[in-house]
Amino acid sequence: MGNDDRLKALFAYDEPPARDPAFSTAVMEELVRRRFLTDVAVLSGVSALGGTALWALWPSLQPVVVAVAQGLAPAIVAGALALGAAVVFSGRRPAALLGFET
Amino acid sequence: MSPASLDEALVAAAQAGSSEAFSRLVERHQQALRAFLRRACGNWAQADDLAQETFLAAWSRIERLKAGASVRAWLCGIGYNKHLSAVRSGARDRAREASYEADHEVARGADTADRMALEAAMSDLPAEQRACVALCLAADFSHAEASEALSLPLGTVKSHVTRGRARLLQALGGPDGQ
Repeated sequence: MGNDDRLKALFAYDEPPARDPAFSTAVMEELVRRRFLTDVAVLSGVSALGGTALWALWPSLQPVVVAVAQGLAPAIVAGALALGAAVVFSGRRPAALLGFET
Repeated sequence: MSPASLDEALVAAAQAGSSEAFSRLVERHQQALRAFLRRACGNWAQADDLAQETFLAAWSRIERLKAGASVRAWLCGIGYNKHLSAVRSGARDRAREASYEADHEVARGADTADRMALEAAMSDLPAEQRACVALCLAADFSHAEASEALSLPLGTVKSHVTRGRARLLQALGGPDGQ
């Protein structure tokens, strides 16, 4: 056995198995967990931003909302439902829909 | 389909957002990456943690991987940088102490004085030299591929491999094959 073969044979003890479903699964689980946390962070940020904007603008918005609420309420509800359904059925993640990732 | 073109297809799919394709890449390259990190840092548990971190980093920057580039070399490059960061932070030493005995139980079961001598000699090599040896002597990387993975000049890689090989063979008590 040549020197290089001898080294190779000794190094072979460090070799992990060619297929290791436990390792691959652990990687993908961690990846999904991090994506979930990203989604939660994005949605929390957007919600907080929207809530703050609404709170700041509410005094000036309130009269307008009250004035148009009677006539537009059904259309707004239908629009919100359609938007929600589009998000759900598109199958895309919120972070991707908002352009934070591909 | 050849392994290289399969990799290319999987990378393209992963770049388009397919986590299934990325999962296949993990399956295909986990062995090479983990083996390299085990040899580079000498601690199996830490190496597997680094390998997992490497794959997570790879997913987040998969769009930067150019078409036709070696996935294996790219992953080993990310893993090597993570290993160097771990060494700098000192985490490696703490983890090494914690799992030293467990790792050596495995080694004792499989061998031999040679195995222990190789491990000791590897741990004495400077980090760059050790990484070059791990890629070129243990994992059949070409010098050019190792140079790309480790971001080192080709001449430096060749010199590290030659010197590292001589030191390992000397530690094993044989001729250095020069």
